[in-house]
Amino acid sequence: MDRANATSGQMVMAVVLTCAVAASALSITYDLTKDRIEEQELAAEVASLEEVLSEASEFIAVEDSLESAQDAAGEADIGAIYRAESDSGDLVGWGVRVAARGYGGPIRMVVGLDRDGQVTGVSIITHSETPGLGSKVLESQEFMTQFGGWDGLDIDVAAKGYDAVIGATKSSNGVRKGVLAAGHVYAEVLSALQEGGALDE
Amino acid sequence: MSEWISVFKRGLSIDNPLTVLMIGLCATLAVSTKFEGAFFMGLAVIFVLTMSAILVSALRHVVPEKVRIPVFIVIIASFVTVVDLMMKAFLPTVYDFLGVWIPLIVVNCIILGRAEAFSYHKPIRLAIADGLGMGVGFSVVIILLASIRELFGSGEIVFLGTRLIGFPSWYQAPNIILLFPGAFIIFGFMVAGTIALNRRMGARKVQTSQHCTIEEGGRS
Repeated sequence: MDRANATSGQMVMAVVLTCAVAASALSITYDLTKDRIEEQELAAEVASLEEVLSEASEFIAVEDSLESAQDAAGEADIGAIYRAESDSGDLVGWGVRVAARGYGGPIRMVVGLDRDGQVTGVSIITHSETPGLGSKVLESQEFMTQFGGWDGLDIDVAAKGYDAVIGATKSSNGVRKGVLAAGHVYAEVLSALQEGGALDE
Repeated sequence: MSEWISVFKRGLSIDNPLTVLMIGLCATLAVSTKFEGAFFMGLAVIFVLTMSAILVSALRHVVPEKVRIPVFIVIIASFVTVVDLMMKAFLPTVYDFLGVWIPLIVVNCIILGRAEAFSYHKPIRLAIADGLGMGVGFSVVIILLASIRELFGSGEIVFLGTRLIGFPSWYQAPNIILLFPGAFIIFGFMVAGTIALNRRMGARKVQTSQHCTIEEGGRS
């Protein structure tokens, strides 16, 4: 075939055939990797949950309160809420997956709260902060552990005594916003859910 | 065989995509803050470059000139998506770091540039040499740049969770190395180094290869 003077039919054929082959190759790859990708994402989330709620052995997603939780959280995005249970099925606490704006984009994290509403820890899942500046904040033990013990029922007061990292205030505030949102969700939604659950038992 | 080797070598020396042709720099400067990220970025680029070179070269007689660009893009994008899905499935931590830069390999000029300038006109055997040479040339530069930036910018090099080498704790890493100015400064020195090295090896003038490679490769 003369490739410089191809007829339009030949051109259409070339593009259509390439696309068809590419599409089928991609759908095969997608099928092969789909389960594994879902597994990995779930594993990453469970690992974060276990990090902040070490006593729990099972995490059950709470789906019907997400909307009211989102209202309570304000501008931060609530991704999921997990009820953390121990081996015997007792409530240990709550895991809230929340995304709050940092400097470079949303910081996705899991905030753990125990059954009294105290923050047990914060674990970052993904972020896009400046490498070496904002990212240092999220890796800093000193910074991340200061949220432990904040009282979810009175989180605005707790949040006043907070230390941002110099040079990365926006990244620091991003994490703080996420913890605040999780506190509000606990105060307005989860604590009520907890009492309701207690009555049922 | 000697032709194969000389084509392969060009990607590493006088036609190095990064330090001589200076294409595909955005991704390079962005992901070279970590050795680990640069290493897998390099592997991804080698894979996509070589595989698309093979396909473009194999199809060079049946793809009409007027629709070659869409066909190239579809081929390249497919291989990039394969890498993207594989990395998400098997190396999630690396994928988190590289993020959007993996899908962006599609628009990396190295790959489309080589398809257009080389693979579309040459037999498969040479297209493989060019793809591998360019890919390895890219990887060597990005890995070197990332090693320098990670070592001096954060004080240690960590690969898949293992600390390879590092400075003792008294070393106060200057942040600028991890930020863009640091990337440009170090990259500038690497460009200078490549030019000096190419001159010393008696390669033909760097100046001409910088401006003419694409046309020259395309029409030869």
